[in-house]
Amino acid sequence: MTARVVPTEVDGSGDLGSMTGDPGWLVVAGQECRDLWRSGRGLALLFCLSVLLSAVTYLASTNSALNFLERREAVNLVLQFVVGVGVLLTLVVTADGISGERERETLESLLVTPVSRRAILAGKLIAGLTLWFAAYVVSIPYLWLLAREVGIFSRAMTLGLLVGTLVALGLGCVGLLISTVSNSNKISLAISLFLLVILFAPTQLPSGLPAGWFFDVIERLNPVSSGLAYITGQLVQAHPWSEDLSFLVSPVLTVVLAGGALVIAGPRLVRLTVGSN
Amino acid sequence: MKRAVLLASLVLALFAYLAAPAWAAPLAVQITPDPTRVATVLGGRFTITTEVANTGSAPTGNVLAHLNVASMQDEVYVDPEDWSSSRSVNLTLQPGESRTLSWDIQAVNAGRFAAYVVVLPEGSEVSGAEGLVVSPLVKIDVETRSAMSESGVVPVVLAIPLLLGLSAAALRLRRRR
Repeated sequence: MTARVVPTEVDGSGDLGSMTGDPGWLVVAGQECRDLWRSGRGLALLFCLSVLLSAVTYLASTNSALNFLERREAVNLVLQFVVGVGVLLTLVVTADGISGERERETLESLLVTPVSRRAILAGKLIAGLTLWFAAYVVSIPYLWLLAREVGIFSRAMTLGLLVGTLVALGLGCVGLLISTVSNSNKISLAISLFLLVILFAPTQLPSGLPAGWFFDVIERLNPVSSGLAYITGQLVQAHPWSEDLSFLVSPVLTVVLAGGALVIAGPRLVRLTVGSN
Repeated sequence: MKRAVLLASLVLALFAYLAAPAWAAPLAVQITPDPTRVATVLGGRFTITTEVANTGSAPTGNVLAHLNVASMQDEVYVDPEDWSSSRSVNLTLQPGESRTLSWDIQAVNAGRFAAYVVVLPEGSEVSGAEGLVVSPLVKIDVETRSAMSESGVVPVVLAIPLLLGLSAAALRLRRRR
Protein backbone atom coordinates (compact mmCIF):
# COMPACT_ATOMS: atom_id res chain seq x y z
CA MET A 1 0.00 0.00 0.00
CA THR A 2 1.19 3.41 -0.80
CA ALA A 3 0.66 6.36 1.46
CA ARG A 4 -0.66 8.88 -1.01
CA VAL A 5 0.34 12.44 -0.60
CA VAL A 6 -1.45 14.77 -2.93
CA PRO A 7 1.15 16.59 -4.99
CA THR A 8 0.88 20.24 -4.19
CA GLU A 9 2.23 22.43 -6.93
CA VAL A 10 3.17 25.28 -4.73
CA ASP A 11 3.67 28.62 -6.29
CA GLY A 12 3.47 32.24 -5.29
CA SER A 13 3.17 33.21 -1.65
CA GLY A 14 3.47 29.75 -0.12
CA ASP A 15 6.67 28.82 -1.89
CA LEU A 16 9.76 28.44 0.26
CA GLY A 17 11.55 30.32 -2.45
CA SER A 18 9.30 33.33 -2.06
CA MET A 19 10.13 33.37 1.65
CA THR A 20 13.85 33.42 0.96
CA GLY A 21 13.56 35.57 -2.13
CA ASP A 22 14.74 32.80 -4.48
CA PRO A 23 12.75 30.41 -6.66
CA GLY A 24 12.06 27.03 -5.04
CA TRP A 25 14.27 25.07 -7.45
CA LEU A 26 17.17 27.38 -6.68
CA VAL A 27 16.72 26.85 -2.94
CA VAL A 28 16.69 23.06 -3.41
CA ALA A 29 19.66 23.21 -5.79
CA GLY A 30 21.59 25.34 -3.31
CA GLN A 31 20.89 22.96 -0.46
CA GLU A 32 21.79 19.91 -2.56
CA CYS A 33 25.00 21.55 -3.76
CA ARG A 34 25.98 22.41 -0.19
CA ASP A 35 25.37 18.77 0.82
CA LEU A 36 27.40 17.53 -2.10
CA TRP A 37 30.35 19.92 -1.97
CA ARG A 38 30.67 20.88 1.71
CA SER A 39 30.61 17.24 2.75
CA GLY A 40 33.72 16.64 0.63
CA ARG A 41 31.92 13.97 -1.41
CA GLY A 42 32.13 15.96 -4.62
CA LEU A 43 35.80 16.77 -4.14
CA ALA A 44 36.63 13.15 -3.34
CA LEU A 45 34.99 12.06 -6.61
CA LEU A 46 36.87 14.76 -8.51
CA PHE A 47 40.10 13.63 -6.87
CA CYS A 48 39.56 10.11 -8.27
CA LEU A 49 38.86 11.59 -11.71
CA SER A 50 42.00 13.74 -11.56
CA VAL A 51 44.17 10.71 -10.68
CA LEU A 52 42.79 8.89 -13.71
CA LEU A 53 43.30 11.89 -16.00
CA SER A 54 46.81 12.46 -14.68
CA ALA A 55 47.82 8.88 -15.46
CA VAL A 56 46.39 8.99 -18.99
CA THR A 57 47.82 12.44 -19.72
CA TYR A 58 51.28 11.52 -18.45
CA LEU A 59 51.43 8.38 -20.56
CA ALA A 60 50.12 10.11 -23.66
CA SER A 61 52.22 13.25 -23.42
CA THR A 62 55.57 11.66 -22.63
CA ASN A 63 55.33 9.01 -25.34
CA SER A 64 57.58 10.39 -28.08
CA ALA A 65 56.48 7.71 -30.55
CA LEU A 66 53.06 9.29 -30.94
CA ASN A 67 52.67 11.25 -34.17
CA PHE A 68 50.47 14.25 -34.85
CA LEU A 69 47.30 12.24 -35.48
CA GLU A 70 47.89 10.07 -32.45
CA ARG A 71 48.17 13.23 -30.34
CA ARG A 72 44.69 14.14 -31.55
CA GLU A 73 43.59 10.67 -30.53
CA ALA A 74 45.15 11.22 -27.11
CA VAL A 75 43.14 14.44 -26.72
CA ASN A 76 40.07 12.52 -27.82
CA LEU A 77 40.80 9.75 -25.32
CA VAL A 78 41.11 12.17 -22.40
CA LEU A 79 37.95 14.00 -23.45
CA GLN A 80 36.07 10.70 -23.69
CA PHE A 81 37.23 9.84 -20.16
CA VAL A 82 36.04 13.23 -18.92
CA VAL A 83 32.64 12.91 -20.58
CA GLY A 84 32.28 9.26 -19.55
CA VAL A 85 33.23 9.75 -15.91
CA GLY A 86 31.41 13.10 -15.68
CA VAL A 87 28.23 11.43 -16.92
CA LEU A 88 28.76 8.56 -14.48
CA LEU A 89 29.09 10.99 -11.56
CA THR A 90 25.95 12.87 -12.62
CA LEU A 91 24.02 9.62 -12.96
CA VAL A 92 25.15 8.36 -9.55
CA VAL A 93 24.22 11.62 -7.80
CA THR A 94 20.83 11.95 -9.50
CA ALA A 95 20.08 8.25 -8.94
CA ASP A 96 20.42 8.99 -5.23
CA GLY A 97 18.08 12.00 -5.50
CA ILE A 98 14.67 10.69 -4.43
CA SER A 99 15.41 7.08 -3.44
CA GLY A 100 18.17 8.38 -1.15
CA GLU A 101 15.68 10.67 0.59
CA ARG A 102 13.29 7.73 0.98
CA GLU A 103 16.03 5.54 2.41
CA ARG A 104 17.28 8.22 4.80
CA GLU A 105 13.64 8.84 5.79
CA THR A 106 13.92 12.52 4.90
CA LEU A 107 11.52 12.52 1.96
CA GLU A 108 8.48 13.21 4.11
CA SER A 109 10.01 16.34 5.61
CA LEU A 110 11.13 17.44 2.16
CA LEU A 111 7.62 16.98 0.78
CA VAL A 112 6.02 19.10 3.46
CA THR A 113 8.26 22.04 2.66
CA PRO A 114 6.52 24.65 0.51
CA VAL A 115 8.42 23.71 -2.62
CA SER A 116 6.79 22.14 -5.64
CA ARG A 117 7.85 18.61 -6.60
CA ARG A 118 9.03 19.79 -9.95
CA ALA A 119 11.25 22.30 -8.12
CA ILE A 120 12.64 19.46 -5.98
CA LEU A 121 13.45 17.43 -9.11
CA ALA A 122 14.96 20.45 -10.86
CA GLY A 123 17.11 21.29 -7.84
CA LYS A 124 18.40 17.74 -7.58
CA LEU A 125 19.12 17.62 -11.30
CA ILE A 126 21.10 20.87 -11.11
CA ALA A 127 23.10 19.56 -8.16
CA GLY A 128 23.96 16.42 -10.16
CA LEU A 129 25.00 18.52 -13.14
CA THR A 130 27.41 20.56 -11.00
CA LEU A 131 29.54 17.41 -10.75
CA TRP A 132 29.70 17.22 -14.53
CA PHE A 133 30.68 20.89 -14.81
CA ALA A 134 33.30 20.44 -12.09
CA ALA A 135 34.71 17.42 -13.94
CA TYR A 136 34.85 19.56 -17.08
CA VAL A 137 36.75 22.33 -15.25
CA VAL A 138 39.21 19.79 -13.80
CA SER A 139 39.90 18.48 -17.31
CA ILE A 140 40.96 21.90 -18.68
CA PRO A 141 44.68 21.74 -17.72
CA TYR A 142 45.00 18.16 -18.98
CA LEU A 143 43.40 18.95 -22.32
CA TRP A 144 45.49 22.09 -22.61
CA LEU A 145 48.68 20.06 -22.09
CA LEU A 146 47.80 17.61 -24.83
CA ALA A 147 45.85 19.75 -27.28
CA ARG A 148 47.94 22.94 -27.45
CA GLU A 149 50.62 21.11 -29.45
CA VAL A 150 48.20 20.10 -32.17
CA GLY A 151 46.09 23.26 -32.07
CA ILE A 152 42.75 21.72 -31.10
CA PHE A 153 42.39 22.97 -27.53
CA SER A 154 39.46 25.33 -28.10
CA ARG A 155 37.72 22.79 -30.32
CA ALA A 156 38.13 20.07 -27.69
CA MET A 157 36.83 22.34 -24.92
CA THR A 158 33.81 23.47 -26.93
CA LEU A 159 32.95 19.91 -27.94
CA GLY A 160 33.37 18.65 -24.39
CA LEU A 161 31.11 21.35 -23.00
CA LEU A 162 28.34 20.94 -25.58
CA VAL A 163 28.25 17.16 -25.99
CA GLY A 164 29.11 16.39 -22.35
CA THR A 165 26.40 18.72 -21.03
CA LEU A 166 23.86 17.23 -23.41
CA VAL A 167 24.66 13.63 -22.41
CA ALA A 168 24.94 14.48 -18.69
CA LEU A 169 21.59 16.29 -18.79
CA GLY A 170 19.89 13.36 -20.52
CA LEU A 171 21.32 10.70 -18.24
CA GLY A 172 20.77 12.92 -15.18
CA CYS A 173 17.07 12.96 -16.06
CA VAL A 174 17.14 9.17 -16.53
CA GLY A 175 18.86 8.77 -13.13
CA LEU A 176 16.21 10.91 -11.44
CA LEU A 177 13.43 8.94 -13.13
CA ILE A 178 14.92 5.67 -11.88
CA SER A 179 15.31 7.21 -8.44
CA THR A 180 11.68 8.32 -8.27
CA VAL A 181 10.40 4.79 -8.90
CA SER A 182 12.90 3.04 -6.59
CA ASN A 183 12.22 2.49 -2.93
CA SER A 184 15.80 1.64 -2.16
CA ASN A 185 18.93 3.57 -2.95
CA LYS A 186 20.72 0.32 -3.69
CA ILE A 187 18.18 -0.61 -6.34
CA SER A 188 18.30 2.83 -7.89
CA LEU A 189 22.11 2.93 -8.05
CA ALA A 190 22.32 -0.67 -9.28
CA ILE A 191 19.85 -0.03 -12.10
CA SER A 192 21.60 3.22 -13.04
CA LEU A 193 25.05 1.68 -13.08
CA PHE A 194 23.83 -1.34 -15.00
CA LEU A 195 22.26 1.02 -17.52
CA LEU A 196 25.53 2.91 -17.82
CA VAL A 197 27.49 -0.32 -18.37
CA ILE A 198 25.05 -1.29 -21.11
CA LEU A 199 25.45 2.13 -22.70
CA PHE A 200 29.25 2.01 -22.55
CA ALA A 201 29.58 -1.59 -23.76
CA PRO A 202 29.35 -0.77 -27.49
CA THR A 203 32.14 1.81 -27.14
CA GLN A 204 34.47 -0.89 -25.85
CA LEU A 205 34.10 -3.31 -28.76
CA PRO A 206 37.39 -3.86 -30.64
CA SER A 207 37.62 -1.54 -33.62
CA GLY A 208 38.70 -4.48 -35.80
CA LEU A 209 35.28 -6.11 -35.60
CA PRO A 210 33.17 -5.85 -38.74
CA ALA A 211 30.84 -2.90 -38.18
CA GLY A 212 27.57 -3.58 -39.97
CA TRP A 213 24.27 -1.73 -39.94
CA PHE A 214 23.26 -3.39 -36.65
CA PHE A 215 26.31 -1.98 -34.86
CA ASP A 216 25.68 1.40 -36.48
CA VAL A 217 22.06 1.43 -35.24
CA ILE A 218 23.12 0.47 -31.70
CA GLU A 219 25.79 3.15 -31.68
CA ARG A 220 23.37 5.82 -32.90
CA LEU A 221 20.57 4.80 -30.50
CA ASN A 222 22.91 4.99 -27.55
CA PRO A 223 23.24 8.59 -26.30
CA VAL A 224 26.68 7.94 -24.80
CA SER A 225 28.33 6.15 -27.72
CA SER A 226 26.78 8.47 -30.31
CA GLY A 227 27.92 11.55 -28.36
CA LEU A 228 31.44 10.13 -28.11
CA ALA A 229 31.39 9.22 -31.81
CA TYR A 230 30.54 12.84 -32.65
CA ILE A 231 33.50 14.03 -30.56
CA THR A 232 35.84 11.54 -32.26
CA GLY A 233 34.73 12.62 -35.73
CA GLN A 234 35.38 16.26 -34.87
CA LEU A 235 38.69 15.85 -33.06
CA VAL A 236 40.42 12.97 -34.82
CA GLN A 237 39.01 13.10 -38.34
CA ALA A 238 38.67 16.91 -38.24
CA HIS A 239 35.16 16.77 -39.71
CA PRO A 240 33.26 20.06 -40.05
CA TRP A 241 30.84 20.56 -37.12
CA SER A 242 27.80 19.92 -39.29
CA GLU A 243 28.97 16.62 -40.79
CA ASP A 244 28.09 14.18 -38.00
CA LEU A 245 25.13 16.01 -36.47
CA SER A 246 22.97 12.89 -36.81
CA PHE A 247 25.04 11.44 -33.94
CA LEU A 248 23.54 14.07 -31.63
CA VAL A 249 19.94 13.02 -32.32
CA SER A 250 20.06 10.31 -29.66
CA PRO A 251 21.44 12.54 -26.82
CA VAL A 252 18.88 15.25 -27.72
CA LEU A 253 16.06 12.68 -27.77
CA THR A 254 17.16 11.37 -24.36
CA VAL A 255 16.95 14.89 -22.92
CA VAL A 256 13.55 15.49 -24.50
CA LEU A 257 12.04 12.11 -23.54
CA ALA A 258 13.52 11.68 -20.06
CA GLY A 259 13.20 15.39 -19.26
CA GLY A 260 9.63 15.42 -20.58
CA ALA A 261 8.75 12.35 -18.50
CA LEU A 262 10.19 14.05 -15.42
CA VAL A 263 8.22 17.24 -16.03
CA ILE A 264 4.96 15.41 -16.75
CA ALA A 265 5.10 12.41 -14.41
CA GLY A 266 7.65 13.64 -11.87
CA PRO A 267 5.20 15.27 -9.43
CA ARG A 268 3.20 12.03 -9.27
CA LEU A 269 6.27 9.83 -8.87
CA VAL A 270 7.84 11.84 -6.04
CA ARG A 271 5.73 10.44 -3.22
CA LEU A 272 5.91 8.52 -0.01
CA THR A 273 5.81 4.75 -0.28
CA VAL A 274 5.23 2.10 2.31
CA GLY A 275 8.26 0.77 4.12
CA SER A 276 10.86 3.30 3.15
CA ASN A 277 10.27 6.94 3.61
CA MET B 1 53.51 -22.55 -98.40
CA LYS B 2 56.37 -20.76 -96.72
CA ARG B 3 55.37 -17.52 -98.46
CA ALA B 4 51.80 -17.90 -97.24
CA VAL B 5 52.94 -18.38 -93.61
CA LEU B 6 55.28 -15.39 -93.91
CA LEU B 7 52.50 -13.24 -95.35
CA ALA B 8 50.10 -14.29 -92.63
CA SER B 9 52.71 -13.47 -89.96
CA LEU B 10 53.28 -10.04 -91.45
CA VAL B 11 49.53 -9.32 -91.53
CA LEU B 12 49.19 -10.45 -87.89
CA ALA B 13 52.13 -8.31 -86.82
CA LEU B 14 50.57 -5.30 -88.59
CA PHE B 15 47.22 -5.90 -86.83
CA ALA B 16 48.95 -6.23 -83.48
CA TYR B 17 50.81 -2.96 -84.03
CA LEU B 18 47.66 -1.10 -85.09
CA ALA B 19 45.54 -2.56 -82.31
CA ALA B 20 48.02 -1.68 -79.57
CA PRO B 21 46.86 1.24 -77.41
CA ALA B 22 48.59 4.55 -77.84
CA TRP B 23 49.98 4.60 -74.28
CA ALA B 24 51.81 1.32 -74.71
CA ALA B 25 54.68 3.53 -75.74
CA PRO B 26 56.53 5.28 -72.87
CA LEU B 27 54.48 8.18 -71.57
CA ALA B 28 55.65 11.50 -72.94
CA VAL B 29 54.70 13.47 -69.87
CA GLN B 30 56.57 16.10 -67.92
CA ILE B 31 55.71 16.85 -64.28
CA THR B 32 56.81 20.12 -62.69
CA PRO B 33 56.16 20.59 -58.94
CA ASP B 34 55.82 23.92 -57.21
CA PRO B 35 57.27 24.67 -54.68
CA THR B 36 60.22 22.29 -54.63
CA ARG B 37 60.90 22.81 -50.95
CA VAL B 38 58.52 23.23 -47.98
CA ALA B 39 59.39 24.08 -44.40
CA THR B 40 56.57 23.72 -41.88
CA VAL B 41 55.74 22.67 -38.34
CA LEU B 42 54.04 19.54 -37.10
CA GLY B 43 50.37 19.70 -38.03
CA GLY B 44 51.00 22.43 -40.62
CA ARG B 45 48.86 22.37 -43.75
CA PHE B 46 50.26 23.30 -47.14
CA THR B 47 49.49 22.79 -50.81
CA ILE B 48 51.80 21.54 -53.52
CA THR B 49 50.87 22.04 -57.17
CA THR B 50 52.18 19.95 -60.02
CA GLU B 51 51.88 20.84 -63.66
CA VAL B 52 51.46 17.72 -65.75
CA ALA B 53 52.16 18.37 -69.47
CA ASN B 54 51.86 16.06 -72.44
CA THR B 55 55.09 16.65 -74.34
CA GLY B 56 54.45 13.91 -76.89
CA SER B 57 52.62 13.88 -80.19
CA ALA B 58 49.88 11.46 -79.14
CA PRO B 59 47.17 11.65 -76.51
CA THR B 60 48.19 10.16 -73.19
CA GLY B 61 45.05 8.06 -72.89
CA ASN B 62 43.75 7.53 -69.36
CA VAL B 63 46.52 8.16 -66.88
CA LEU B 64 46.59 8.39 -63.12
CA ALA B 65 48.56 11.02 -61.25
CA HIS B 66 49.33 9.80 -57.74
CA LEU B 67 50.97 11.63 -54.84
CA ASN B 68 53.28 9.80 -52.50
CA VAL B 69 55.16 10.83 -49.38
CA ALA B 70 58.30 9.08 -48.17
CA SER B 71 60.49 9.61 -45.16
CA MET B 72 64.13 10.48 -45.68
CA GLN B 73 64.92 9.26 -42.20
CA ASP B 74 65.02 5.56 -41.40
CA GLU B 75 63.34 5.76 -38.04
CA VAL B 76 60.27 7.74 -39.13
CA TYR B 77 57.32 5.74 -40.41
CA VAL B 78 55.06 7.43 -42.93
CA ASP B 79 51.48 6.58 -43.74
CA PRO B 80 50.73 8.73 -46.82
CA GLU B 81 46.97 8.45 -46.15
CA ASP B 82 47.50 10.49 -42.98
CA TRP B 83 49.31 13.17 -44.94
CA SER B 84 46.73 13.60 -47.66
CA SER B 85 43.33 11.97 -47.92
CA SER B 86 43.01 12.66 -51.67
CA ARG B 87 46.13 11.51 -53.47
CA SER B 88 44.98 10.31 -56.92
CA VAL B 89 43.67 12.17 -59.96
CA ASN B 90 42.58 10.64 -63.28
CA LEU B 91 43.28 12.66 -66.38
CA THR B 92 43.74 12.52 -70.14
CA LEU B 93 45.96 14.97 -71.94
CA GLN B 94 46.01 15.83 -75.61
CA PRO B 95 49.38 16.59 -77.27
CA GLY B 96 50.70 19.87 -75.92
CA GLU B 97 48.03 20.08 -73.22
CA SER B 98 48.93 20.58 -69.58
CA ARG B 99 47.00 20.50 -66.33
CA THR B 100 47.81 21.84 -62.89
CA LEU B 101 46.97 19.55 -59.98
CA SER B 102 46.76 20.71 -56.37
CA TRP B 103 47.61 18.44 -53.46
CA ASP B 104 46.50 19.44 -49.97
CA ILE B 105 48.88 18.02 -47.42
CA GLN B 106 49.11 18.05 -43.64
CA ALA B 107 52.41 17.27 -41.95
CA VAL B 108 51.57 14.62 -39.38
CA ASN B 109 55.14 13.59 -38.51
CA ALA B 110 58.21 15.63 -37.71
CA GLY B 111 61.38 15.07 -39.71
CA ARG B 112 62.59 15.22 -43.32
CA PHE B 113 60.33 13.92 -46.04
CA ALA B 114 59.99 13.81 -49.81
CA ALA B 115 56.74 14.17 -51.71
CA TYR B 116 56.53 13.22 -55.36
CA VAL B 117 53.91 12.61 -58.01
CA VAL B 118 53.97 9.65 -60.30
CA VAL B 119 51.96 9.44 -63.54
CA LEU B 120 51.10 5.96 -64.74
CA PRO B 121 48.77 4.49 -67.34
CA GLU B 122 45.38 3.43 -66.12
CA GLY B 123 42.77 0.97 -67.29
CA SER B 124 42.18 -2.71 -67.85
CA GLU B 125 44.41 -2.73 -70.92
CA VAL B 126 47.55 -1.93 -68.94
CA SER B 127 49.96 -4.80 -69.49
CA GLY B 128 52.38 -3.87 -66.76
CA ALA B 129 55.28 -3.26 -69.12
CA GLU B 130 54.56 0.45 -69.53
CA GLY B 131 56.87 3.03 -68.07
CA LEU B 132 56.09 5.50 -65.31
CA VAL B 133 56.89 9.17 -65.13
CA VAL B 134 58.00 10.51 -61.77
CA SER B 135 58.22 14.16 -60.78
CA PRO B 136 61.23 15.73 -59.13
CA LEU B 137 60.82 15.41 -55.38
CA VAL B 138 59.53 18.14 -53.13
CA LYS B 139 61.62 18.25 -49.99
CA ILE B 140 59.55 18.77 -46.83
CA ASP B 141 61.14 19.76 -43.54
CA VAL B 142 58.77 19.43 -40.58
CA GLU B 143 59.78 20.90 -37.25
CA THR B 144 58.24 19.67 -34.02
CA ARG B 145 56.16 22.19 -32.15
CA SER B 146 56.92 22.90 -28.52
CA ALA B 147 58.15 19.46 -27.62
CA MET B 148 56.39 18.16 -24.55
CA SER B 149 58.89 17.20 -21.93
CA GLU B 150 58.33 15.40 -18.67
CA SER B 151 59.33 18.55 -16.82
CA GLY B 152 56.38 20.39 -18.40
CA VAL B 153 53.86 17.64 -17.72
CA VAL B 154 54.74 16.43 -14.25
CA PRO B 155 53.79 19.64 -12.36
CA VAL B 156 50.29 19.59 -13.81
CA VAL B 157 49.62 15.86 -13.43
CA LEU B 158 50.81 15.99 -9.82
CA ALA B 159 49.44 19.36 -8.76
CA ILE B 160 45.79 18.82 -9.68
CA PRO B 161 45.19 15.53 -7.80
CA LEU B 162 47.21 16.90 -4.89
CA LEU B 163 45.15 20.07 -4.76
CA LEU B 164 41.84 18.21 -4.97
CA GLY B 165 42.92 15.55 -2.50
CA LEU B 166 44.05 18.12 0.05
CA SER B 167 40.86 20.15 -0.38
CA ALA B 168 38.70 17.05 0.14
CA ALA B 169 40.71 16.03 3.20
CA ALA B 170 40.54 19.56 4.65
CA LEU B 171 36.77 19.65 4.23
CA ARG B 172 36.37 16.29 5.96
CA LEU B 173 38.57 17.39 8.84
CA ARG B 174 36.61 20.60 9.20
CA ARG B 175 33.31 18.69 9.32
CA ARG B 176 34.63 16.32 11.98
CA ARG B 177 35.55 19.24 14.21
